[in-house]
Amino acid sequence: MNEGAGRGRLLPAASEGGPFVNADLLRKRAATAALLAGFRRQNMILVGLLFFTAAVAPALPFVQDWMATQASLVIIYILAAQGVSILTGQTGLVTVGHGGFLAIGAYTSALLAKYFAVDLSIDLVSGGIAAGLIGCVLGLIFLRLAGAFMAIGTLGFAFFVGAIVNNVPIFEGRDGIQMPHSHLFGMRLDDFGFYYVSLATLGLTTAFVYTLLRSPVGRAFRALRDAEKAAESSGVNRLFYRTLAFTISAFLTGVAGVLNANITGYVSAETYGDIWYSVDFLVATVVGGSSALMGPFVGGAFIVMVPFYLEQLADFAFILKGVVLILVLQFAPAGVCDLIARPFRDLRRKQLQRVQDDAAKTPPPALAALFSRGRQ
Amino acid sequence: MTHISCHGVTVKFGGIVACSDLALSVEEGKIYGLIGPNGAGKTTLFNVLSRFQNCDSGSVYYRGQCIDRKRPHEMVHLGISRTFQNINLFSEQSTLDNILVGAHRLAGSPFANMLALPSARKTQRALLARAHQVAELLRLENHLDIPVRNLPYGHQKRVEMARALASEPEVILLDEPVAGCNSQEVEELKDFVRMINRELGITVLLVEHDMSMVMEVCDYIYVINFGSNLAEGTPAEISRDPKVITAYLGDEE
Amino acid sequence: MFGQQVISGLAAGSLYALTAVAVVVVFRNTRTINLAQGDIGMVGAFLALVFIKTWHMNYYAAMALTVIACVALGVLIERLVMRRLANADWLTLFTATLGVFYILHGVAGWIWGRETKAFPVPFDPTPIHFLGTVASFGHLTNIVWAAVIGLLLFTFFKYTKQGIAMRAVTDDPETARLMGIPVRSIVTLTWAMAGFLAAFAGILIAPIVYVSPQMMDEILIKGYVAAVFGGLYSIPGAILGALMIGVTENLAGGYLGSQFKTATAFVMIVALLAVRPQGLLGVQRRRVI
Repeated sequence: MNEGAGRGRLLPAASEGGPFVNADLLRKRAATAALLAGFRRQNMILVGLLFFTAAVAPALPFVQDWMATQASLVIIYILAAQGVSILTGQTGLVTVGHGGFLAIGAYTSALLAKYFAVDLSIDLVSGGIAAGLIGCVLGLIFLRLAGAFMAIGTLGFAFFVGAIVNNVPIFEGRDGIQMPHSHLFGMRLDDFGFYYVSLATLGLTTAFVYTLLRSPVGRAFRALRDAEKAAESSGVNRLFYRTLAFTISAFLTGVAGVLNANITGYVSAETYGDIWYSVDFLVATVVGGSSALMGPFVGGAFIVMVPFYLEQLADFAFILKGVVLILVLQFAPAGVCDLIARPFRDLRRKQLQRVQDDAAKTPPPALAALFSRGRQ
Repeated sequence: MTHISCHGVTVKFGGIVACSDLALSVEEGKIYGLIGPNGAGKTTLFNVLSRFQNCDSGSVYYRGQCIDRKRPHEMVHLGISRTFQNINLFSEQSTLDNILVGAHRLAGSPFANMLALPSARKTQRALLARAHQVAELLRLENHLDIPVRNLPYGHQKRVEMARALASEPEVILLDEPVAGCNSQEVEELKDFVRMINRELGITVLLVEHDMSMVMEVCDYIYVINFGSNLAEGTPAEISRDPKVITAYLGDEE
Repeated sequence: MFGQQVISGLAAGSLYALTAVAVVVVFRNTRTINLAQGDIGMVGAFLALVFIKTWHMNYYAAMALTVIACVALGVLIERLVMRRLANADWLTLFTATLGVFYILHGVAGWIWGRETKAFPVPFDPTPIHFLGTVASFGHLTNIVWAAVIGLLLFTFFKYTKQGIAMRAVTDDPETARLMGIPVRSIVTLTWAMAGFLAAFAGILIAPIVYVSPQMMDEILIKGYVAAVFGGLYSIPGAILGALMIGVTENLAGGYLGSQFKTATAFVMIVALLAVRPQGLLGVQRRRVI
């Protein structure tokens, strides 16, 4: 028996951070680990570049106000799609009702702005929390649902929210609520100001989502998605993680809702009482693809830009969205992101293979170096 | 000392009685087998022991404490892991990811993990180390980054076992560990089961049809038929027991 | 007043049932949650309007022609969209019907415009007094139509060769195929049936909700709520669910106020699924561990 081993324990307990015993294995994994870390750095640089470009773009000469608004709209959809992707893509619970959470965020913001004239920063947090709480409750109510029934249940939820905003007087139904102009920390926001606020919010949420999904929590989500009983037998608490997924997912879409309300300064049951947002977000998730990070970006951009270019012919927008959706499903079912990323993935796989084959020949690195290189 | 035991376990599905007044007792540090013809209620009993199935009457005990009220995900925290009959891996994910989920109970606070606090990062490194240890133990270290659905069947069975081992269990319930394996894979799995019992002191209870596995590896065997206890004893005693021979072994040969 | 609400509730429920049954049949045979079910009926309603108003056809002739058109539309959807995805997972299938939903909405809006239009009825709208309560002739005809169609379906499933074949496909498509049942034509037949039911749903509901691209959106959801009552598998369950929704929402609207009417169905579905995730008459599929 290995020294220091207890029953079932190979070494001093894992929680104490015991070292490897096998130097050979260390050596082999070192190169692989370094390569994988390199891939992750590349991904982060790519996303960072995207944000950087977005941040400096307004300085370009041909950029006008309406572009900032349009870009903000894309950001809002990406944010909402991030919410959907956590629940559907990562935890496997299909939702066709996130328009409901968008509405909750939007109306929270509208009511706070109208009656209390609060700052946008408070709005964002409150709208997110309100949606998150309802999401938590919904997750508990729908605890035993799966698959198709979950989809229908969430669809029912979206319509329920719609029925409430249509009929409960405080929400002023189809007349809607006119909001005072949004301001952040006392400063009045113009189109570009709002754009930067949206971008910053997206930056925060993206960082959060990235961290979340790489952590054991993200692993627990995916385990529940792929093999629920096996996940439970491994110690994943179904109730806790499901509800957590719902809560986080609703929170993110709620925050998107706050931004959505503020971009027009007006909320009414006409837009929020419908299913269009809910199905749009699902389409964004499906078209964008299962990559939790980039999927929402691609999908969100798609769903907003299509109608934009067909502004005058809104009906054609519907038709085009439907046709593209069907084509994507038939020819690229894993989503557009997957399609684009495929050659890169193949390249990376070859690199990985080469590194693992070479590993036997390279000399072993120092043990300490392994743990200090930011390797996860 | 008794690790797992149950008595009076009865499970009915509608009109069918799957288990009727079953009892068994598993001592620490040994390998136990549970055999019986198809439909005898073995997997149902397994599901009761691992709390995936409620029994209509009877109780299950762990280290003397009644665990009837425990939920499936709490078993791992007690020190009980299980595998599944038809491989229940996360098929699109890599071997390493599968094993990492197995170690979930060692992962620490979800909130620390979500925010990537320094304590969480330390735990994550330890978790990774643990996963590598387990992989090496089951000779999977060269397959860590491959999606498990691309692995040969025998390797997938090993990943299933590695996942169960990752949580530092005291007891492992193996549900038909060699089902569908060729003879070489069976021999390998026999070695692994013996190894985890002897080197790591883990108590094993396995359900199996393959007689060589059961007879060569187990210290003690329970035989059930039609949902009830039929016989129990050492492999030598069982192979001589006339009741067992008539019900099961005799017909098999 | 109670009787009046019940009758109009049953009438509404009968029409929801048409959608609910179509949803169940499609789901059972193809594992597809058909989000476009309502819109096939919507297109049917528009076509019928064109037949009656522009081509000056007789109501019943227009109805017959519309049914043929909707059946054709159902088959077209199956052929162009669903066939290629036949083996995909349910989310892909569902999202494909979502694509059809978008397309039909867009096409209808483009050809006929988004404003609501009135739809004519072939009979005198004055109410009839009977059994101490009041009902409109329209309500009664709807109930009768739905009952007739229900009877037709029942006969189809029980006595015709195709109907029995369809039940076999529902239970076990692999075995059905091995026994020589042409599963693909059953699938086509399923979508044709969906179109058939959608046509009637659209035409009969049109006078009540008026014709517009979004006319069937709410009814689709109610149809799904009703279908879930039957666990998405049982036709009697779906019909029962539909009638329950119709009656409950009318009673809620009558006694609590009209603003509660729309919310009723959704409260029901959320409550139902929370308590019985497999639906009221559904079968809880046991997963083999």
